[in-house]
Amino acid sequence: MSARLRNILLWIVALAVLILIPFVVEDRYFMHIAVMAGIFTILTLSWNLLAGYTGQLNLGHAAFYGIGAYTSAILAMQTGLSPWLGLFAGGLVAAVFGLMLGFPALRLSGPYLAITTIGFAEILRLVAMNWVDLTRGSLGLSGVPLLTPIKIGDFTMQFYFERDYYYVVVAGVLFTLFCIRRLIGSEFGVTLQAMRDDEAGAQSIGINPSSYKLAVFTISAFFAGFAGGLFAHFARLVSPELLALHNTFDILTMAMIGGLGTIAGPILGAVSLTILSEALRSMEEVLKIDIRLIVYGLLLILTILFMREGLVGVIKNVWARVKGDR
Amino acid sequence: MGAILTTDRLTKNFGGLTAVNDVSFSLEQGEILGLIGPNGAGKTTLINLISGAFPPSKGTITFEGRDITRDKAHTVNTLGIARTFQVVRIFSRLTALENVLAAMVDRKHKGPWSLVWDSFFRRACALTEDKESCATADSLLDFVGISKYRDEQAGNMPYALTKRLEIARALATQPKLLLLDEPSSGLNPAELTGQIDLIQKINAQGTSILIIEHVMKVIMGISHRLIVLHYGEKIAEGEPEKVYNDPLVVEAYLGGDSDAQH
Repeated sequence: MSARLRNILLWIVALAVLILIPFVVEDRYFMHIAVMAGIFTILTLSWNLLAGYTGQLNLGHAAFYGIGAYTSAILAMQTGLSPWLGLFAGGLVAAVFGLMLGFPALRLSGPYLAITTIGFAEILRLVAMNWVDLTRGSLGLSGVPLLTPIKIGDFTMQFYFERDYYYVVVAGVLFTLFCIRRLIGSEFGVTLQAMRDDEAGAQSIGINPSSYKLAVFTISAFFAGFAGGLFAHFARLVSPELLALHNTFDILTMAMIGGLGTIAGPILGAVSLTILSEALRSMEEVLKIDIRLIVYGLLLILTILFMREGLVGVIKNVWARVKGDR
Repeated sequence: MGAILTTDRLTKNFGGLTAVNDVSFSLEQGEILGLIGPNGAGKTTLINLISGAFPPSKGTITFEGRDITRDKAHTVNTLGIARTFQVVRIFSRLTALENVLAAMVDRKHKGPWSLVWDSFFRRACALTEDKESCATADSLLDFVGISKYRDEQAGNMPYALTKRLEIARALATQPKLLLLDEPSSGLNPAELTGQIDLIQKINAQGTSILIIEHVMKVIMGISHRLIVLHYGEKIAEGEPEKVYNDPLVVEAYLGGDSDAQH
């Protein structure tokens, strides 16, 4: 019971810190970074559900992100659907595409699946580039409407400034975190992990890997699409670049550095790398080279060589050593 | 007592190689049937065919009167056939308990979406809180003698014990027929005796067993009947003592040509 109490306390403290951040730091640029870190946390958590917990290497995750963003933006601009519903509509449309990408995963694995998923995202990016009537091509959709204000009595909450949007993203991250933790801790999650560790072994105890793979691709895509919707109404610009491979590569790096197959890893990775990438951006202006990708690549190699379990693994080891010393 | 499993003229070709050739046999209810033969005789292939890992090229497999020739591995398991593997295939990053629990999930034939639903709306299905499943899994770990490793990551367990974990996992699916592919390989003499006891204990509970084994002491001691495969063909069948002294079997093991005797 005391462990449970400590857990609840920890959550309350974390929540309080998250709520108070905008009051302490009023800088708009910092809040912008915080929003992006939140969006990437959702993306990385959802990618990790596939790669870390089910062992399916999906290198087309950015496609779901883009689909969610376009869906939510187009629905709001052309049908006037409330962006609040659009966020979930974006997730649902992405989930349909996730189900579609699940089918090749039934027959392919490892590098073959990885290449297929790259192709999938690349095709959809080209569709977004060329379907000018719907997407305005490479110009992208600009002027995506803001989230509509919420009125509670006399108080109206607008979502114009970064610090207001920040709370929406925090809620989105918590929603994703809740769902994914629930899934991983359930019979469903154990089944996924069994398949990851040994597919033939899983089949031998009556698990049908095909149906589980389709389900997990669908769920993972839903959250990526949801993150896409969050981005669309925040940046107010949706372009084919969202579906590009480098976005998936960012997600992959965040998950690997944070710790694959853990819950804390993707959060840690997404937040620290988003901050790092902003720091490097200012250096790029001085150095005039694309240093961000170089650093990402280097960090990825170092992670694979020296800390397979990522930052989470390092923290665990240090914690164990501190405890052992006492 | 009738046959629980029957194969009829079962054949499997891999390209030009015939790994299993025209093998027919039946396994009686409650029996321990030993499957022996030199390396490469097709023993594991036969178990793979029965368990649905891949379909045969020719022939049929009947389990409890039902044709399971073309059924996939997961279907075969849900019908009541469980197996272990020559080289263990446990879930190395899950704990011993979770390995066994994983085998109990689809007992309820629910499928993924209903499990997703459960994970949100039925708290009892959060694994560690499902008391009933945990109790069953714990008793299985105890039955195979590894309850000490309950919360250990399976990948960190000693090899001999992972073989037992695999058996516990197979038993969790409540099989009527258990296929054991070399349950004693890599075990020391003391562990061997324990393994024999365990297999006999499982059989005593009414589970029929098909067992591949190289260790003669094990197979002679526990099998009610033996089948001998050689180059994919069944060359002998019958009571252990009789088969053991069959000239054809002796020749297969020692080699017809003299160079094998050096």
